[in-house]
Amino acid sequence: MELKSNVPEGPLAEKWDNHRFTSKLVNPANRRKHSIIVIGTGLAGASASATLAEQGYEVKTFCIQDSPRRAHSIAAQGGINAAKNYQNDGDSIQRLFYDTIKGGDFRSREANVYRLAQVSNNIIDQCVAQGVPFAREYGGTLANRSFGGAQVSRTFYARGQTGQQLLLGAYSALSRQIKTGKVTMHTRKEMMELVLVDGKARGIVTRDIITGKLETYSADAVILATGGYGNAYFLSTNAMASNVTAAWRAHKKGAGFANPCFVQIHPTCIPVHGSFQSKLTLMSESLRNDGRVWVPTKPGDTRRPGSIPEDERDYYLESKYPGFGNLVPRDVASRNAKEQCDEGKGVGTTNLAVYLDFAEAISRDGEATILRKYGNLFQMYEKITDSNPLREPMMIYPAVHYTMGGLWVDYNLMTTIPGLFAIGECNFSDHGANRLGASALMQGLADGYFIIGTSIASYLGSTKQDAVDSDHPQFSDAKKQVQGRIDKLLDCNESGPDGKLTVDEIHKELGLLLWDHCGMARNKEGLEKALTELPAIQEKFWNNVYIPGTGEELNQSLERAGRLADFLEFAEIMILDALNREESCGCHLREESQTEDNEAKRDDAGYSHVAVWEYQGDRGAPKLHKEQLLFENVTPSQRSYK
Amino acid sequence: MSTTSINLSLEIWRQKDSKAKGDFETYKLTNISTDMSFLEMLDVLNEQLTREGSDPVAFDHDCREGICGMCGAVINGIAHGPEPETTLCQLHMRHFNEGDTLVIEPFRSRAFPIHKDLVTDRSALDRIIQAGGYVSVNTGGTPDGNSTPIPSATAELSMDAASCIGCGACVASCPNGAAMLFTGAKISQLSLLPQGQPERKERAMAMVTAMDKEGFGNCTNERECEAVCPKGISIRNIARMNREFVKASFF
Amino acid sequence: MFFIQFLKSSIGKKWIMACSGFCLILFLCSHAAGNATLFNSIPLFQAYADQLHSHPLIISVLSKALSLVFVIHTTTGVLLFLQNRKARSTGYKVQKRAVKYSQASRTMIFSGLFILLYVLAHTYAVSFGDHATIGLTISYLFSSPLVVLFYITSFIVLAIHLSHGFWSMLQTFGVNHPRYNKLIRNLTYIVPIFFLLIFSAISLLFIF
Repeated sequence: MELKSNVPEGPLAEKWDNHRFTSKLVNPANRRKHSIIVIGTGLAGASASATLAEQGYEVKTFCIQDSPRRAHSIAAQGGINAAKNYQNDGDSIQRLFYDTIKGGDFRSREANVYRLAQVSNNIIDQCVAQGVPFAREYGGTLANRSFGGAQVSRTFYARGQTGQQLLLGAYSALSRQIKTGKVTMHTRKEMMELVLVDGKARGIVTRDIITGKLETYSADAVILATGGYGNAYFLSTNAMASNVTAAWRAHKKGAGFANPCFVQIHPTCIPVHGSFQSKLTLMSESLRNDGRVWVPTKPGDTRRPGSIPEDERDYYLESKYPGFGNLVPRDVASRNAKEQCDEGKGVGTTNLAVYLDFAEAISRDGEATILRKYGNLFQMYEKITDSNPLREPMMIYPAVHYTMGGLWVDYNLMTTIPGLFAIGECNFSDHGANRLGASALMQGLADGYFIIGTSIASYLGSTKQDAVDSDHPQFSDAKKQVQGRIDKLLDCNESGPDGKLTVDEIHKELGLLLWDHCGMARNKEGLEKALTELPAIQEKFWNNVYIPGTGEELNQSLERAGRLADFLEFAEIMILDALNREESCGCHLREESQTEDNEAKRDDAGYSHVAVWEYQGDRGAPKLHKEQLLFENVTPSQRSYK
Repeated sequence: MSTTSINLSLEIWRQKDSKAKGDFETYKLTNISTDMSFLEMLDVLNEQLTREGSDPVAFDHDCREGICGMCGAVINGIAHGPEPETTLCQLHMRHFNEGDTLVIEPFRSRAFPIHKDLVTDRSALDRIIQAGGYVSVNTGGTPDGNSTPIPSATAELSMDAASCIGCGACVASCPNGAAMLFTGAKISQLSLLPQGQPERKERAMAMVTAMDKEGFGNCTNERECEAVCPKGISIRNIARMNREFVKASFF
Repeated sequence: MFFIQFLKSSIGKKWIMACSGFCLILFLCSHAAGNATLFNSIPLFQAYADQLHSHPLIISVLSKALSLVFVIHTTTGVLLFLQNRKARSTGYKVQKRAVKYSQASRTMIFSGLFILLYVLAHTYAVSFGDHATIGLTISYLFSSPLVVLFYITSFIVLAIHLSHGFWSMLQTFGVNHPRYNKLIRNLTYIVPIFFLLIFSAISLLFIF
């Protein structure tokens, strides 16, 4: 596997321009002769489908939900960053670039991140033109807020529903192209396999979720916009259907998987309250501006928070990090919460929560002020937990939120398989080892609206390929393989459900293993333990899972089982990657790599690279490749929050 | 937060596929924690059914935080259940009592055929949007975001309408199976904004025509849609659509 | 043609109901005003009736136009009812409304049909008789408590019909604005009660 990043020549600020100038183009009249498959209709997928169709390509777009508007981008609350500098507070493309690459703890590619900052402004213009109702100032100009600890106000927002509004904007652009016939939209179809012809991505096999029918589709290029793999942990803030299947299928066909261990864990989620819990709900981090985090000093203290006197409370963030206190970055806050709970000081029925107390802020500023700031969050919290944060401290706990790792892509967002592109959360490219708040939306739309068009033209314009249709033997072979896999899954249920396990039971087991050993803080011992325990879970799945029903109908258990099967395989490279990265960086603390005062210690000499895993067949151990990261324009610096 | 457990009796619509004739089946659930969401309660039922070797209840769901619009069923006659402005996934079992019988039915409308159990086909709503629920701008070449000032109040009104999650509860609850609130919300969102002006008339005409073609019923102003809407979208948007459509038809 | 297309659309049909309903409300106003002469005396009412009938325009054009509007309102209403039933052919096992006090809107078709029945009876009894002696006809009619009861029942049904119909008409016309909604809400009580009181009082005049 060769990792050629294809970063264009020239100074950083001119690379994108140079690249667009030197890239091959496809004549407008010829574009209709090319077909492109897009998997996924989140911000990246919907915007890419619409944009490519506008340019004249024949686009086939697929999603697993009943409508393209359901993709999980819709759940993003906070906002979207752009270097508009509308607030005149010193923002610039250079600053957004620097913040993003520094936020990612210097584990991403300079050129990609700079381009992201460059096109961020176009995204805002595009969305405004589509009729996205961003918040406005009284004078009618766009409003901004500061977000995720940024020192400038560069975040554009539409109430707490920015992701929804941006997605609906992209969805409307997509709908327009569906109407013109340039996009053929396939809903409720799940990509089951990638098809290569002559080593290039030429099509996919899908399963119709309603009828169970396997179908094949061919194209000149395939774009994956299938999101992240946070659901490997079972509990995450991802949607229930979010999965790694498409990316994993591509990986098994030769696409390198980059930094799979980089998973962002968000500190302020509503805690788990029982084994039946199906997902976690995120609450805005802004809560930490006024809330004080604490746990009882005595482990196993079951008194209600109100009856725990002040001197028996441990405001651990404030005592440990006097400079930043409760406002330490996400990873530090998350890690410390888990630490406290591991010491037995966790609160709530599951002992997996810490308090976030607003009592002091309320007595200082009054209820009205606090409600004005956090009213809707308090409401949401009360709806779910039936407890009023004005009366009793909130309980919070970290949860898996975003995956920075993903398919390895070059500057063109092309994977190591020619003709296969990965955009949005599905690729690894822009967030390094940690993602800044309000940057996910920015990246999804940058890739879809402004970058992929150039890449596709460049690829199609410089690649000679024969017309292939889905009668090609590679397609029927792939289809047979998929059928085989489904049959194998359903084989397990021949002897009935007795003594067997449900898909979710096994998924929870995998989730727990990853959470315990491949979560926020990792160590060699734990990761090696996880690596030895994983095969047993895989085996349990294949021998002992019970999936009711058949493959020729709407069968939600079968859908989940197929996704879990891929998560189980994928988990191996996640753990391996974590094991291999013997440094603390971004979201993760590697326990062996700490400073004297227990802070994360990055190791630039040893790990300033992207770790890319290559699939070596069912028996072979995954092979590690490295893309060295060169920093010519910024100097990596160590973080300190003391 | 006081956790208690309740026992429930569920009457759920079971239908094998779109052609099958469905019927209600009764299930008993014991020890349901009141901290569960409604969908988690269904998860528990499905785990139980799976272990018994029977077919679990198919139901649509995805984000489980009340924004994707994928989930939805009619609980004891009310779409998304008894709590106002709450989707099914955000409805918690503490709103039910020990021994309750819950009748769970799929969203029903001529325009929403049933795929299986509680899973319906709501693609008609997508086709209404495809008819004109957009501003025809291509990617690139758009003016600076601040080039057209929009009064904050107007942006907020537009946002009120834009917060529709497309779940279809308005259609399901309407005694006439009408999609006026859904269509009205999108027409309103864009007609309020300067960006929506150039296509204002074409949009109103095209979207209302598409809505009628899909087999949705007529609006008789019963306000059920507004009452069940998980995002609290007002029928003021329907009034606005009425005006827009008349203007587009006559002027 | 655009007009036919408009009328055929779902919103067009709403407008037909609202416009015809509006005409009928106007008619109710004039009818109430004319009948109010009975509060004074039967001869005055007779004089009003004679005056009315002395205008050929009123007899030949307006009365026919009124019948036409009435027929349009009724047939469109019935048509909509039938069409809408088809759009939700399968009902729910549990029939429940989320809107409180939705009795009026739920029963529009039935209150409407009852009013139709009333109108037929009323025109048969009053309009087809000799208008020269209408004052006498009326005092004869209303001397029967049963007739008065039927009339008052009908006025109550009319008031219920209007309590949804009046607001619904404004909503269809697109009149829905937070600044005026309180006024509109009050009017939805005032308008039906006004008609109920005035017409019932007239029919009760003859009993006491």
